[in-house]
Amino acid sequence: MKKYIPSLLIFFLATTISVFAQDESISPQRKQAIDSLALEKVKDLSKYISIIGSKETQFSEATRVMDRAEELFAPDAEMGVSSINTNEIAYYKIRRYFERLMALNYDRVNISWYDIHYISDLERQPDGRYVGVITIYQRFEGTSQEAGLNYRDTTKKDITIYVEKKQTQISGRTIEFWDVLLGDVRVTETSA
Amino acid sequence: MRIVFVTLITIILSNISAPGQTFNSSGRIIDDGRFAASTKQVNQFFRRFNAEESKEGDVRFHPGDELYHDLALRKSFINILFDNETSGINNDLKREFIGYVTSEVYPQYLNFHRGDWFAEVNTVFNYNNKRQDVVLFLKLQPQGLGYEWVIENVNFPPFKGAFDKPKGDDKKFLHPLSHELGFMNLRKAIEENPRPESYTPDEFQPDYLSLFLFEIKNNRLKFVTVKDTKFHFFQIDKWYFELGQFNRPGFNTGWLIANLMKLEDGDKDIILNYIYDRD
Repeated sequence: MKKYIPSLLIFFLATTISVFAQDESISPQRKQAIDSLALEKVKDLSKYISIIGSKETQFSEATRVMDRAEELFAPDAEMGVSSINTNEIAYYKIRRYFERLMALNYDRVNISWYDIHYISDLERQPDGRYVGVITIYQRFEGTSQEAGLNYRDTTKKDITIYVEKKQTQISGRTIEFWDVLLGDVRVTETSA
Repeated sequence: MRIVFVTLITIILSNISAPGQTFNSSGRIIDDGRFAASTKQVNQFFRRFNAEESKEGDVRFHPGDELYHDLALRKSFINILFDNETSGINNDLKREFIGYVTSEVYPQYLNFHRGDWFAEVNTVFNYNNKRQDVVLFLKLQPQGLGYEWVIENVNFPPFKGAFDKPKGDDKKFLHPLSHELGFMNLRKAIEENPRPESYTPDEFQPDYLSLFLFEIKNNRLKFVTVKDTKFHFFQIDKWYFELGQFNRPGFNTGWLIANLMKLEDGDKDIILNYIYDRD
């Protein structure tokens, strides 16, 4: 969380310093700032996934990174995974998904990301929070010399983002800012 | 000359067989255009259909922006929003539809909140210890400070098969003086007739959604998974189209129009009955 405070504050200063307006709608400029913050979190998630999946990462380090990665998510977030062969979704809690990734039996794992992403509009939920979806693409390559395995897939990840207005106290002043949390992630294997 | 030709062929073939292999300076794989072309979200389908984003999808257009709802941009977008590989939508019908929605006099747009579109979700549940397909129909509704998806209808063959009201002489009945006997004949009617729906009014329609919820609450129906989703749109006046997701190699992928029909009077009800599998 600490890491995001400067960007949140910049975000706040760039958007509003005054007392909150009653109108909770998000202007295009504010939406752009929220998109940037959400993308920053998605990039962090991508980085963490690469570290967790790498065989060169020590167990203790992987556990620490899993803790950090989990902090990006809302508490009940899940991964829903489907492959080319079956459309059915297999559900994993976020932590379980990371543990499975860490336990993959490859000598060498390489996770890379495509240079393309797509960010949806933000829609308001009944509770007043906003929700959006960021789509990214990931390439996974795993090599197991002993078993002679060479596995490769490309997945589309549709990542839910929750956007919420929060408050913090700085030098006795109440400051509002918009925070982003990641939610459920739909992982679809693509034919690429 | 021959060497040049062979080299060119090799380069072309290597590009075809190993797409997306190029990396940019930040170590990211450079998309060869396929993911950019793909309609990646239903949201993007709406934006492309209405011309509310740039060709690359990275700039959102708002009212007042020069290209917001731009006619030429819309035409080029809608052209790529059809499934061209499996659906076999007639080209003349496609052209007529594009002409209709991009009319200069009365252009038609899609609106996320306006209704007249709904989702059909194919799910799997365990029922009586057997995996069974259940089709759920969901719609968006305003709720609280925003919107929510709600289950509006259910299609589940065991429910449908459970109601088969006999007709004519086969139909049992409660005779018209049953009331004089305090309806004591209800015992026979209900216990001895496997089709108690015989005693319902002509207009009786089973409410599958209530049954579905009741069975879930009693732990007889247990959710297993979701298989796939499609959407039915009636928002465009006098037209219906189905939106499906196409996950395959190539550039014609993502959320695309899988079925298109021009509607005459009464056609909407026929299509709805077909979608909901109603008699």
